[in-house]
Amino acid sequence: MTQTRLLIIDDDPDYVDGIRSILEKANYEVDVAYNPQDGFKALESKSYDLLLLDIMMGRGAEGVMVARKINKDPNLREIPVLIITGIREQMAFLFPGQAVHPRFLPTDELLEKPVDPKLLLEKVAALLQEAKEKKAQKE
Amino acid sequence: MSAKPTFSHEISNLMYKSHGNPTKSCIQCGTCAGTCPVAEYMDQTPRRLIGMINANLKEEVLASNTYWFCASCYHCTVRCPSQIDIAGVMYAVKRYSIWNKSYSEDLVGPAFSEAFVKIIARSGRSYEPILAPTYMFSMEPKEFVQEAFNATKMMLKGRIPVLPTRIKHIKNFQEMIRRIIPIGGES
Amino acid sequence: MKKYALFPGCSLEKMAASYYRSSVETTKKFGVELQELEDWNCCGATTYSYIDELLANTLVARNLALAEKEGLDFVAPCSACYKNAYFTNKYIKEDPDLWEHINYALEQDDLQFHGSIEVYHIIDIFAKEIGPEEIKAKVTNPLNGLKVAPYYGCQIVRPRKNGEEFENPQFFEEIIDAMGAEPVDFAERLRCCGASLIMTNRQAALEMVRVLLNNALNSGADVIATACPLCQVNLECYQTAVNEEFGTDFKMPVLYFTQIMGLALGLPRKQLGIGSELVSAAPIFSQVMVKEGK
Repeated sequence: MTQTRLLIIDDDPDYVDGIRSILEKANYEVDVAYNPQDGFKALESKSYDLLLLDIMMGRGAEGVMVARKINKDPNLREIPVLIITGIREQMAFLFPGQAVHPRFLPTDELLEKPVDPKLLLEKVAALLQEAKEKKAQKE
Repeated sequence: MSAKPTFSHEISNLMYKSHGNPTKSCIQCGTCAGTCPVAEYMDQTPRRLIGMINANLKEEVLASNTYWFCASCYHCTVRCPSQIDIAGVMYAVKRYSIWNKSYSEDLVGPAFSEAFVKIIARSGRSYEPILAPTYMFSMEPKEFVQEAFNATKMMLKGRIPVLPTRIKHIKNFQEMIRRIIPIGGES
Repeated sequence: MKKYALFPGCSLEKMAASYYRSSVETTKKFGVELQELEDWNCCGATTYSYIDELLANTLVARNLALAEKEGLDFVAPCSACYKNAYFTNKYIKEDPDLWEHINYALEQDDLQFHGSIEVYHIIDIFAKEIGPEEIKAKVTNPLNGLKVAPYYGCQIVRPRKNGEEFENPQFFEEIIDAMGAEPVDFAERLRCCGASLIMTNRQAALEMVRVLLNNALNSGADVIATACPLCQVNLECYQTAVNEEFGTDFKMPVLYFTQIMGLALGLPRKQLGIGSELVSAAPIFSQVMVKEGK
C-alpha cells in the first residue's frame, strides 16, 4: 500500500518543522509549501490525501481564499482540509477574545495553534477515514 | 520539496504577490538611502535594512525602527534600479512584526495602526478624537501642548469633527469584513 | 455636463472642508459635476494596508463598487485615497482569484465590483480632462505676479501609475501658469512632507516640513499650492510647531490648488473656504487684485 501523502501550506517555518516531524513520525509522507502560490503548484503537480492549511499568509487571511478556491475546483474539492491557525492571536488587537468563525470557512476541521500532537494526529486520521468512506460510497 | 525558508525567504513569501522584485535582487547601490527623506532618523538606512534581510539577520531587522519610520512616500520604490518595491518591503516587515508581535515596544507606530484599523472595522470611517489617546500619551509634554493647541485652533476654525460619522448599513459592512477575516460575530 | 463620483475621504469631511468646497465650485465652472459618493467608507490611508492587504483592498473595492453602481468614474482629492483606489482597481483586475474573493465579501453589502470605472485624482481632472487651455480661457482674474510653489508631494506621482514621468512632472506648473500665476522653481516639490509620521515620529515629520517650507521660501514663493489634505494640514497646521522646534519664523500660506484656481476664476473667497487657515493667507490678497464674485 502506498504511503498517505499530506500537504502543509503554512508560512511559518518553525511551526511547520514541528508538525511535519509529528506527522512524519506517524508515517505520513509530508510536503510543504510556504506560500499560497507554491501551494497550488504542489496541488497541481501531485495528488494529496489531506491538506493542512494556515490562514494568515502573504497579503492577509489568504488561507480563506485558498480554501474557497479548492472548494470550487472539481479536481481538488474532495481533498479534506484541516485549518491550523493562529489567527485569533495574530488579529487579537482587532477582535479581542472573539472566536474564529467557522461559517466563513469552507473546510472540514479547524484547530488553533498551538496544537497538541495527539489531537493533531487524531484529527488527521479521522479526516482521512471520513474521506475514504465518502469515496467508497461514491464507487 | 522546498527547503526550510530563511528569514529573507519568509519576507519574499509575504510578498509573493508583490509588484516588484524580491530583496535578493538588491545591488546595495544606496539609491534608496540617498532618496529617503527619513533616513537620518532611522537606525538603519533602507539599503542596510535590505542587506540585513538578505543576510537573514532576523532579530536585528525586527528590532530596527526603520520599517516603522517609513513614510510610504515611494520615492525609493520608483528609483530602485533593481525594481524592488522597497516601500512594499517595509510593509511586509511591518506585517511580519505585527503577526508575530515582534516589533520594538517603544514605538507608537504599531499601536496607532492597530487603533486605526479598529475604528474602521467598527464604524467604517476614521475619527481623529478617538485615535488621539493612542498617541497623545506617548508624547513629550511640549509636544502634547503643541498638539492640544493645534487641535483647539482647528476646532475653532471648524476643522475638527465634533461627532464621529458612520456608514449606513454597518452590520452589512461588518459581515463583509468577516468574510475576509473570519473572526467574531455570532457563533 | 460630465459627472464624477467624488470620494471625499475622512479628511475632507471636516479638516479639509475647504478643499471639498473649492473642488466642487471650481470644477462646476468647467461643466464638471462632482457628486459625493453615497455611503462611502474610509480607505485606510497608508495605515492598514500593511497589516492586511486583503482587507484594505476589500474596503477600497466597496467604494469603487458604490461608484460603479452610479455609473460614475471615481475622483479623489486626497492623494492617499487616490493611490489606494487606483491600485486596488488595478490589482483586482489583474488577479481573478482576488476579484472573486472580494466580490464574495462585497456580496454581504449587496455590492459587486465589475471593474468598469476609471480612478482619477482631482488634479487629473484639471490637468488632463479639462486641460490648461480651457482653464486659461475661463480665467477672469489672472493672478499676475503671484508666485506659487507647486507641491506635488508623494502619492499623486508615486508609485508610478502608468509609466508617466515621476522625476520631472510639469502638469502642476502648467495649471498654475494657466491661472496667470507664476510657478516658482521649487526643487523639493516631490519630496515627502512626512504627514504619515506626524503622530508616530514627530521629530522626523517636523524636520521634513521644515525642509519644504525653507525651500519654498528660498524659491521666492508667496504661497504653497497643495493637492492633498494630509500635505496641507502638515505644512500649514504644524508651522507653529516647526517654528518652536527650530527657532524659525515661517508664515508661509498653504492653500489647496483648487482655492487658488477659484481666485483666478473670480469666485468669492468664502465659496472657496478661504478663512479657515491657521496661517493667514491675507498677504497674498494684497498682491493679487481679487475681483470677487464676478
